[in-house]
Amino acid sequence: MGDILLEIKGLHASVEGKEILKGVDLTLRRGEVHAVMGPNGAGKSTLSAVLAGRPNYKVTAGSVIYDGRDLLALSPEERSWAGIFLSFQYPIEIPGVSITSFMKSAVQARRRAAGLPELSAAEFLKLLKEKMALVGMKGEFAKREVNVGFSGGEKKRAEIFQMAMLDPTFAILDETDSGLDVDALRTVADGVNALRSPEKSAIVITHYQRLLEYIVPDVVHVLKDGRIVETGGREIVDRIEKEGYESFNG
Amino acid sequence: MDRLYIIGKDPVPQRIVLSKPGESLSLTLAVLPGVSCELAMQIDLDAEGCSVDLAGLYVCKGDENVRLDVNLRHNVPGCKSRQLFKGVVGGSARAEFDGLVYVARDAQQTEAYQENHSLLLSPEAVCETHPQLEIYADDVKCSHGATTGYLNPDELFYMRSRGIPEEEARRLQIISFLSPVVARHSELSEIELW
Repeated sequence: MGDILLEIKGLHASVEGKEILKGVDLTLRRGEVHAVMGPNGAGKSTLSAVLAGRPNYKVTAGSVIYDGRDLLALSPEERSWAGIFLSFQYPIEIPGVSITSFMKSAVQARRRAAGLPELSAAEFLKLLKEKMALVGMKGEFAKREVNVGFSGGEKKRAEIFQMAMLDPTFAILDETDSGLDVDALRTVADGVNALRSPEKSAIVITHYQRLLEYIVPDVVHVLKDGRIVETGGREIVDRIEKEGYESFNG
Repeated sequence: MDRLYIIGKDPVPQRIVLSKPGESLSLTLAVLPGVSCELAMQIDLDAEGCSVDLAGLYVCKGDENVRLDVNLRHNVPGCKSRQLFKGVVGGSARAEFDGLVYVARDAQQTEAYQENHSLLLSPEAVCETHPQLEIYADDVKCSHGATTGYLNPDELFYMRSRGIPEEEARRLQIISFLSPVVARHSELSEIELW
C-alpha cells in the first residue's frame, strides 16, 4: 500500500450560507481508487468542488492535506499544477476557443509551473493525437470549440481526454457516468483505467453502481447528509444495490 | 464579401443607401484598444429584397470613450437586416451603443434583428446600450436583444481547474465572447485583442 496522498479531516463546507459538508474524514493512499457514493443532495459534488477550489464554496472547519501540502491554501490553478484534476459533472462550454488552444494553454501553463520548457508545436500535437486515440476521439474533435454542441457522452469523453492530457496524480470524477450509454461508459472507464498506476489515485463520485463495474474501486465510502457514514470494500456497492441508501445511518 | 473597417484606420462611410433590388451589404466595424471614437452610420434599405449583415466589436482597456450610433432604415418591403455588436469595456473606459431600427409603414415582410452584448471588466468601466425599434408596418419579424454582464465565474473556474492561470483564463473568456464577430475576418483573428 502506498503512502498517504490525501487526508481530509473534519471537513465542513457551506454554499451560500448553507452547510453541506458536516465533518468529512477520508484518507486516500497512492495507487488507490475510492468510490464516494450517496443519494442526491448528500454533498458529493460539494466535496469535489471544495477539493478543486471552486469559489463560493466556503470551508468553515477541518483540513485537507494533499501530498504534504495544505490544499485549501492553493488556488484552483495551483491545485491543477500540483496534479489534481476534476472531471466536471456538467462540463462548461467555451464558444470560440478550440480544444487544441484550450489544452495548449493548460499544458504549457502546467509545464511553466513545473519549471519545464514548453512543448514545441510538434510535441504538443503528438501528445494531443496520442491522448485522443486513447479515449477514442476522432482527430477533427481537436478543432471543435470546447464542449460546444457536444452530446452528453462527448462531453464526458472530452473530460477524460483532458484528464489524459494533464496526466494528474489525483483525479476526481464527479458523476462521470451520468447521461452515458453503455458504450460511452465503457470508453470512459477504459480511459480512466489506462491511467491507473501505483502512483496515481482517484475518487470516483457516483450514485449508481454501474460505473464501478468498469472502474473497480479499492475502497467505497457512503456519503449521506454531509458525512461519510460507512467505509468498506466492494461489498458496500452490492448492499446499496440491494437495500438502497436507507440502511446506512451515521 | 464582408468588408472590415478598423476604426481610426479605415474611413467609414456615414451613410449607405441600398437602392438596387436584391442588393446585399455585409460589413464589420472594429474599434480596437486605445481608440476613442464617435461614429454615426445610417443605412437605408431603399429597394426590395435587400439585405444587410452588420457586425461590430469594441474593445476598451484604458480610458477610451467609444460611441457607436447605428441608424438602420427599412424604407421598402421585403428586406432583411441583422446586426451583432459585442463590446468589452475595462479600465475606466466608457462605451455607448445606440441602435435604431426603423421600419416604414409600407415596409411589410421586413426581417430585422439586432443584438448588442457587452462585457464589463472593471468597476470603473461604464457601458450604455440604447436599442430602439421604431416599427410602423404590421407584418414584420423584428427583435432586439441587449445584455451587459461580467465574466462567467463558472467558465473561469473550469479553465483554472485545468491549470490555466487566472489572467490567461480571463483573456480566453474575452476571446470567446468576441468570437462571433472575430470569426468574420481572418485579419481580426490575428490581432491581439486582449
